[in-house]
Amino acid sequence: MVYIFDGTKSGFLTAFLVAYADPEAVLASEKIQLPLGQTPVFVATDEARAEKAKNRLLAFDRDCMRDLDTLLRSGMENREQIALGYFRVLAREKRPVSKRLAEREVFEAVECMKKVGHEIHKFHGFIRFMETASGALYAPFAPDNDICDLLLPHFRARLPQFPFVLHDIKRKKAAVYDGQNSFVAPLERAEILLSANETGWQALWKRYYRAVNIPSRERLKQMKGYMPVRYWKFLPETQTSAEDL
Amino acid sequence: MITEEKLKILTESAKYDVSCSSSGSGRKNAGGMGNGYVAGCCHSFTPDGRCVSLLKILLSNDCIYNCKYCPNRLDADVPRATATPEEICELTIDFYKRNYIEGLFLSSAVYKNPDYTMERLLLVVKKLRTEYRFHGYIHLKGIPRADEKLTEEAARYVDRMSYNIELPSEQSLKLLAPQKSKESLLLPMKKLTEQSEAFREEKKKGLVKGYFLPAGQTTQMIVGASPERDGQILRLTQALYRKNGLKRVYYSSYVPVVKDKLLPEVGAGQLREHRLYQADWLLRFYGFSVEEIVDEGEDLAMELDPKCAWALRNMHLFPVEINRAPLEVLLRVPGIGAKNAYKIMEARKYTKLSFEDLTKMRVALKRAKHFITCNGKFFGAKNEYAVRGLLAQAETQESAEQLDLFGMLSTPQNALIALHGQL
Ligand code: SF4
Repeated sequence: MVYIFDGTKSGFLTAFLVAYADPEAVLASEKIQLPLGQTPVFVATDEARAEKAKNRLLAFDRDCMRDLDTLLRSGMENREQIALGYFRVLAREKRPVSKRLAEREVFEAVECMKKVGHEIHKFHGFIRFMETASGALYAPFAPDNDICDLLLPHFRARLPQFPFVLHDIKRKKAAVYDGQNSFVAPLERAEILLSANETGWQALWKRYYRAVNIPSRERLKQMKGYMPVRYWKFLPETQTSAEDL
Repeated sequence: MITEEKLKILTESAKYDVSCSSSGSGRKNAGGMGNGYVAGCCHSFTPDGRCVSLLKILLSNDCIYNCKYCPNRLDADVPRATATPEEICELTIDFYKRNYIEGLFLSSAVYKNPDYTMERLLLVVKKLRTEYRFHGYIHLKGIPRADEKLTEEAARYVDRMSYNIELPSEQSLKLLAPQKSKESLLLPMKKLTEQSEAFREEKKKGLVKGYFLPAGQTTQMIVGASPERDGQILRLTQALYRKNGLKRVYYSSYVPVVKDKLLPEVGAGQLREHRLYQADWLLRFYGFSVEEIVDEGEDLAMELDPKCAWALRNMHLFPVEINRAPLEVLLRVPGIGAKNAYKIMEARKYTKLSFEDLTKMRVALKRAKHFITCNGKFFGAKNEYAVRGLLAQAETQESAEQLDLFGMLSTPQNALIALHGQL
């Protein structure tokens, strides 16, 4: 049976209770390609039941809600299914299971969480701010996983005096720090007026980037391995403009 | 704002310094901008596959010294530039704010004289920390023969310092970098190590505040510009780690930028550099000593990584049982890296690991299978010759993939030799 829920943590926990006894269960939050003849069950989120499930699971592993949060942020299509497998093992073992890597479900979940974690780390480096006329910083990007708010603490600690916006273009949302507080908000498009020096600094950065490369040692494959091409769109240094040619 | 032209001159030649690491400092934001990132952070990658983490720049490329291999030596006819401290500070701040970089790697040619150069460098880092209130990462290159007091003061502002040994013996230094000497490089390193130990002691007692090289010291050696063997180089490395407390030694395979009859015309292959790094890892993280890895007068084998080579010389120690071997032993199994060793230690607490379990955990077994048993079962090749051949073959395939080889292993003859295990 296919169980569809709303993608939230409470939704997952409700669906988990419903699907637990069904060994063939497929859990999903978005429209998925249904096998022929299957009618999905829509599970309505039930906060009270979810809360109960949460407390029971937390008694087995007090970090498991953090794991669930991470899993549901994954950009992988089968993230809900991976989470289901992982929580099944947890419910069966009744104690933390994240180190049981020889179990397929655990391994898959751990890998999935690692990917989210890695992308956060990557974007600590790959975020590119532009300076706007007001002095606030604006960074558009399109991460694989739903992580824009998880980047907030890092940049807040580092740039406490600058209001900034981390704009996830793909999910049309933004993590915002206004100089004092931070929050997440839906954001379709942003109208940006750049500061007078912005293009000048970008040009210097591109100049620097070209200067430090050693052309006789080109290793594009390796470069792309570390810095996937899908991220390039938002990096000034990988954009060639007419004057660079 | 610094001009593009000046930036180009001052960064072009700084790029041959391979260290770009921004790790090891947990410096806090104390108002102003920036902080340290203990794990280090890459902000971009250039088409040569290298990480861009720091703004690597020279304060000046106008040198009074004449190191033979250096494009900025006194005799060279190249455009010269010297930046003002403000230019460097602004550039750092504005790059950092946009998240282009993790911090600054500041170095310089010897401009006018060593003391003057060191004074200017000190001025930059002091300004950055105090006036610009910058708390991001700073790596400062020390100037040999500069006044000790200047060096010590600079160390209080920066996260890491380095003196590049460049040439791994006194002889080669005399020949190729006549104004430097082993002494002029090793002495300040030693001093700084002592001072930082003293500082840490006092800090523990609450007598001092602040930082003193929280990310320690590093150095770099050019490989292949002079005749030293890998065995000799790695002995120096080991001494630097053990006696001087260095955090890292970098190796830079020689790139002939300058023509001189004393210098080789071709660069050292990147494969040699790669092997040195592998051996260096064995020293730092795998509990090996250099004596186990290579004899003083020898080079590392090119066709096998140093751990495989060691294992083949010590076949009597293998195979080891994956469910029982202690960590130090697992770490010595070819193909099992530190991460996998820890993974195995964890997972075997819950179940007796079989060969399939390892595969499921994505432990690479191509090499390891010849050196382990899983629950007493062995899946490797029967005899040592076969193992040797298979390892060399695995190496050829992987290097070809990873390092877009480098002549030597990609010629059909060599691949064939590797296949037959006759290396
Ligand atoms: S001291 Fe030697 S290596 Fe450094 S810039 Fe001058 S000539 Fe070059």
